[in-house]
Amino acid sequence: MKLLFESIVFSYSQIFFSNRKWLGIILFAGTMLNPVIGAAGLIGVALSNLFALYLKFDKEKVRSGFYGFNGLLTGAAFAFYFELTPFLVLVGFLFVFISFFLAAALENYLAAAFNLPGLSLPFVFTLYIFLIFSTNFEQIAYLYKEGFAIGFEQYLPDSISLLFRSISVIYLQPGVLPGIIFFIGILFFSRVMAVNIVIGYTLNYLLITYAFSSYSPELMLLSSFNAILTAIALGGSLIIVSRKSFLLVAIASVMVAIFTGFFYKLLMPYFLPVLVLPFNSIVLATLYSLKFRQEQSDLVLLYFPPGSPEENLYYHTNRVSRFEKFKQIFPELPFYGEWFISQGFFGGYTHKDDWSYAWDFIIKNESGKEFEDEGNYKADYYCYDTPVVSALEGDVVRVIDNITDNKIGENNLKYNWGNSVVLNHGHGLYSSMSHLKSGSIKVAEGDHIKRGQVIANCGNSGRSPYPHLHFQFQLTDKLGDKTYKFPFSSYMQKDGEKFILKSFEFPPENVTVANIELHKTLKKALNFRLGDEFEFECNLGEISFREKWEVKVDIMNNLFIESDSNCRAYIYMTDKIFYISSYIGSRSSALYFFYLLAIRVPLGYHEKLEWHDPIPARHATSSFIRYLSEPFLFLGEQIRSEIRLYFEERINSDDDFVIDGELSTRGKMLFSGFSEKGNGKMVISNEGEIKSLEFELGKKYFNCNLIIDEEKSE
Amino acid sequence: MTKRRYERPVITKHHSGFMNKFGNSPVSVPKTEIDGVAVKKLTEEYGSPLFVISEKQIRQNYKNLFRIFRSRYPKIQMTWSYKTNYLNAVCSVFHNEGAWAEVVSAFEYDRARKLGIRGENIIFNGPDKDENALIRAIEEKAKIHIDHFDELYQIIELAEKMGKQAQVAIRVNMDVGIYPKWDRFGFNYENGEATEALRRIAINKNLKLIGLHTHIGTYMMSTEAYRTGASKLVHLANLLKSQFGLVLDYIDMGGGLPSYNTLKGQYLQAEELLPTLEQYADAITAPFFELNYSSDEMPTLFLENGRVLIDDAGFLITQVLANKRLSDGKRAIIIDGGVNILFTSFWYKHKISPAQQTSVHTENAAIYGPLCMNIDCIREDIVLPTLKKGDQLVVHHVGAYNVTQWMQFITLRPNVVMVMEDGSVELIRKSEDLDYIMSLESIPAKLQTGVK
Repeated sequence: MKLLFESIVFSYSQIFFSNRKWLGIILFAGTMLNPVIGAAGLIGVALSNLFALYLKFDKEKVRSGFYGFNGLLTGAAFAFYFELTPFLVLVGFLFVFISFFLAAALENYLAAAFNLPGLSLPFVFTLYIFLIFSTNFEQIAYLYKEGFAIGFEQYLPDSISLLFRSISVIYLQPGVLPGIIFFIGILFFSRVMAVNIVIGYTLNYLLITYAFSSYSPELMLLSSFNAILTAIALGGSLIIVSRKSFLLVAIASVMVAIFTGFFYKLLMPYFLPVLVLPFNSIVLATLYSLKFRQEQSDLVLLYFPPGSPEENLYYHTNRVSRFEKFKQIFPELPFYGEWFISQGFFGGYTHKDDWSYAWDFIIKNESGKEFEDEGNYKADYYCYDTPVVSALEGDVVRVIDNITDNKIGENNLKYNWGNSVVLNHGHGLYSSMSHLKSGSIKVAEGDHIKRGQVIANCGNSGRSPYPHLHFQFQLTDKLGDKTYKFPFSSYMQKDGEKFILKSFEFPPENVTVANIELHKTLKKALNFRLGDEFEFECNLGEISFREKWEVKVDIMNNLFIESDSNCRAYIYMTDKIFYISSYIGSRSSALYFFYLLAIRVPLGYHEKLEWHDPIPARHATSSFIRYLSEPFLFLGEQIRSEIRLYFEERINSDDDFVIDGELSTRGKMLFSGFSEKGNGKMVISNEGEIKSLEFELGKKYFNCNLIIDEEKSE
Repeated sequence: MTKRRYERPVITKHHSGFMNKFGNSPVSVPKTEIDGVAVKKLTEEYGSPLFVISEKQIRQNYKNLFRIFRSRYPKIQMTWSYKTNYLNAVCSVFHNEGAWAEVVSAFEYDRARKLGIRGENIIFNGPDKDENALIRAIEEKAKIHIDHFDELYQIIELAEKMGKQAQVAIRVNMDVGIYPKWDRFGFNYENGEATEALRRIAINKNLKLIGLHTHIGTYMMSTEAYRTGASKLVHLANLLKSQFGLVLDYIDMGGGLPSYNTLKGQYLQAEELLPTLEQYADAITAPFFELNYSSDEMPTLFLENGRVLIDDAGFLITQVLANKRLSDGKRAIIIDGGVNILFTSFWYKHKISPAQQTSVHTENAAIYGPLCMNIDCIREDIVLPTLKKGDQLVVHHVGAYNVTQWMQFITLRPNVVMVMEDGSVELIRKSEDLDYIMSLESIPAKLQTGVK
């Protein structure tokens, strides 16, 4: 029953690409202003969804309204276009089924074959089938209720009245009142969408009023509501909102006017209405054509389940800034201890052209010198003869180990690469280490080696005037092949006294870097396994409550923690780093505060290590300013939040691990005066449990403690 | 213009002609300041003799050694060898850099605890751990390195009685190819005592075996001895894993690295004779990669170095009391610092520099301390410029073992100051005074009459 209710409500909100229950209810209420059409629509939705459930279609998809909204439109259309006679009601029921099957076939086909949404095409085809079929019967009266008026039109100027009538028509409602209700609902749901509606409508209106002045009122209405739908789809719901999407909306709303005229004339001979054909064809053509671009970095098509345009943007920008360079394999720096990058990408000495993406590593002491005394001998150099290790698990495919080390200042240009080892890591990725010490190579071709295994010692052979390690990723087993740009999965980068945690980044020239050393306790604390359960005793302000967590997995095999308050945090772990990739749910659960404090956690403790992660604005602040800023989202995010996390210093080996977090939210451009701060801490006990969380955000103070089940832990 | 310094004339044998076996004539470079603080100023304020310790040098030494090991093995934990120099300020610098405490007696254990070091961060070595100390160490989860079977039995008994699990490792001694063999501490590797001890610990539920320890000797001049030592411990660790499934938290390779102080028997200077720290580190870490451990399990390498970290951070400033000529015509210099405070002069040929600018003319001399004892000889032969009463000398590399092994004999032990990184000077141990020394004593009543 709950499922059916939700599926109906979501079918209503689905038409505006929304997943909000309350919006669905408002929209439903709006359609009931005209009870006959409203009821017909409701029957259409309910029948479609029931049918889908009965036939065992994917429940989650049914719940989302995927199969229902075409039924809604079909049902409503019958009541809108025709006088309802018993005969018509009967036929109408049958056509709801037709619309359902068409939807199931078309929506799924477009999704599977082209990764495109089916939009309302099934509805359009169902109605055409009926209209052509109905010509066999004389008793079906084609009734166009444009004349219907439910108050208000007379008080509004034509241009405004047309706007709301156009919005009404989206749900096959006549008059302005439903449109006004729908619009208010949308305004609460998404400011971006409201802006898009107004922009799309206005441009279209200007064009059809002043340029295409011969358009009939019917054509004007058609063109307007198609323009609105198109603006919604392209301006943030199916494409991430941006400056370019804004331009796209402007162009598309003009195109709508043209295509409306085109379809109108095209279908006239068959007495078929234009309906939402211009919207469907323009949106589908646009989305499909955009897929063929070489670079998809702007006008990004939605690649995840849609939320509001705001959520889409926040999610996307957060994802790009956190996971753009994410890879499924986790190479680490090929040495122990702290090394300095003397030449990075596009370096001034040799990292040029095809060999741009390589690193030269050396060791410097605390005062920045790389050698003892005058540096006249190889052994004076701190890096000379230190172990070089494998960055990743792999096979040794090439070993060169017979080139004498150079004297300081000399180059061996005959054997540029010197003593080298090339490793094959699978997935088409190879790594190569050069200038190794003569006779120091400890592996042989064909050996299978683990990550972190010692390969050889750093030396001074080949084109190497002073000892250093040359490291590069490449795509073949050839020695000295062109380099391939590939990131290290985790490392620490020195910044003054501090170390900054980096993941999937390319360490730049002139910085000191080191690997993270795995700490058993931290790994134990964050190694969530399917079925793990936790319970916390929580206090939020005055309220005390208990919250349970369970680790679950979804159909895509993504692990997530779900709280009993229905919040979800998606988690992921590489060898050395724990991530919360996204969070869905309220801002008052323990899981929410865990999300803030554990958005990324290194699985190793290092003094003075800190890391910074962006938090989507909607997760960071509940300020009204955020809503005010959202109409300007096409200019980019107006409010940004970042959390700075760092380890508190641990003095003793059995001290708890304390991670402090400072959340700062700051406005940009128009909202640059706005800023908010919050801070908290997470304590991981020495036994490897998330012991407590604490956070102060605005006026809210939250804390919670893990409830340890004595019996279980023994 | 200041008045030029007077130096008495010396007669030097002149070598001419071809290059000769004596090389260049020795030049002594004056040491007028320590970390930017003038020697003169230090003694004006704190008196002479005066021990001066450089915070900057300690930190530099620590970072240098840590970097050398850390770039050869991923997990390193330094532990500060208290017996080398347990002045609170010195220990604090090391603890501040991240070192744990390595103690060899209840006295040192208590010192570390008083400095705020928790039991878990203390390594308790040594053949003499009394019962109270052991109880405390078990209670506080200190890492107890067992030295002999009697101690093992005692710990088993105590842990059982206390109902606690003791965190233990054993000290292993072995033949690493050096003479004399250091086989008096710990359990021997070759005769099977070590494996026997390990077997007993592994099957006892009141003992948790967390590590293995060796300390192959002191002032080790051979890197290969370390390689052998490490290999033997790695062999034991592999055995423990394969036989008992025991994975160790750490392997402690002890200390023993030499400082650049020249031993009395050495002809060449220590700098020329000793392997580099990198070579030692290579030898110590290389065998670790033979462990049958997975990369997640790799044990931490503990180091207990003392001398190499502190020796060159310590200086002793002394003053010339008198010059005299010995019966064979050799010059002798008497200074105000004797073997009672410079214990290491028994085994080192300390480097000694004048603390003021001098001419290039030098003379061979013996340096004696102020004690009225024949053994009080700081250097039997040293080439120095001519010095007058009141001139100052700086003895180098005295940071290790002096302020722990010094003795109070006929004089009072002097001030110890630390030159801080910012150039300020802090008094870290006040000189003794008569009242302090006498406050420990008491006179039986019938003897309190004085001279009759």
